[in-house]
Amino acid sequence: MNLEDELRAALRREDPSSGFAQRVVARTKVTPRSNRPIFRMAWAAAIAAMVIVGLAGVYQYRQVQAERAGRDAVIALRIAADKLNIARDKVSRREN
Amino acid sequence: MRRILWAVLIAAGTIAQLPAQLRITGLDGLASKAKESVDITLDPAMLQMAGAFLAGGGKDGSDVKSLIAGLKAITVKSYKFTETSQYRMEDLEPIRAQLRTPGWSKVLSSQSKGEMSEIYMRTDQGKVAGFAIIAAEPKELTVVAIEGAINLQDLSKLGGLGVPAIPVPGQSKDQPKDSGKKGKQE
Repeated sequence: MNLEDELRAALRREDPSSGFAQRVVARTKVTPRSNRPIFRMAWAAAIAAMVIVGLAGVYQYRQVQAERAGRDAVIALRIAADKLNIARDKVSRREN
Repeated sequence: MRRILWAVLIAAGTIAQLPAQLRITGLDGLASKAKESVDITLDPAMLQMAGAFLAGGGKDGSDVKSLIAGLKAITVKSYKFTETSQYRMEDLEPIRAQLRTPGWSKVLSSQSKGEMSEIYMRTDQGKVAGFAIIAAEPKELTVVAIEGAINLQDLSKLGGLGVPAIPVPGQSKDQPKDSGKKGKQE
């Protein structure tokens, strides 16, 4: 057998086995990985965790802000009260 | 066009009727000269948060909470210097100019040996709607502006008692607490 015959034999046209087309179509219909229930649940859990962490962060931030505002309010009112009393004392001393 | 004109006129009228809020200006440069400074500004939202925080702080907290309940804003600027002459009386002029506008009245004034204390009040329909203090000493300058209804007798009780206990919800009264002076001091 010469080279030409060998090539012709190797490259000869062959029909696919029966059911080839159905198998190809069936493979294209396989559920993508991301649409599987386990992945959807993982995504939902991750999003829920992020929301919880975010809300906890906001709550913590607001607590810190409120604490700072409370402390500032006490300091500010104490300074105001001290200065008010000092001014009153000066005036009452002057009058006496 | 006529609608726009009316809207502008109404807006201008509304702005004209707004109470004159005191702005403490012209003192910003003093913080760098001061050995100790306090700069506190609390707007209505911050006061609301402060009230909510102080509500859980026992009697001390409820006293302060009741004081700030009617307030719209608190601004305090206080500077302590190591040397005298670190500020000029002219630095206070922008503030005093605002306090000379209609609505404000000087209720107390004291001057002696380089010290000056002035208390101003703004009333609205017979009620205290604003309160301001200027206290100038050789090595100390304090300006306080409080917007809103405040009972001066109750405020006076907060002073002269040393460092007030800062109520912390959930903390017992016997526990030592840090001075609030640390707060905004720079």
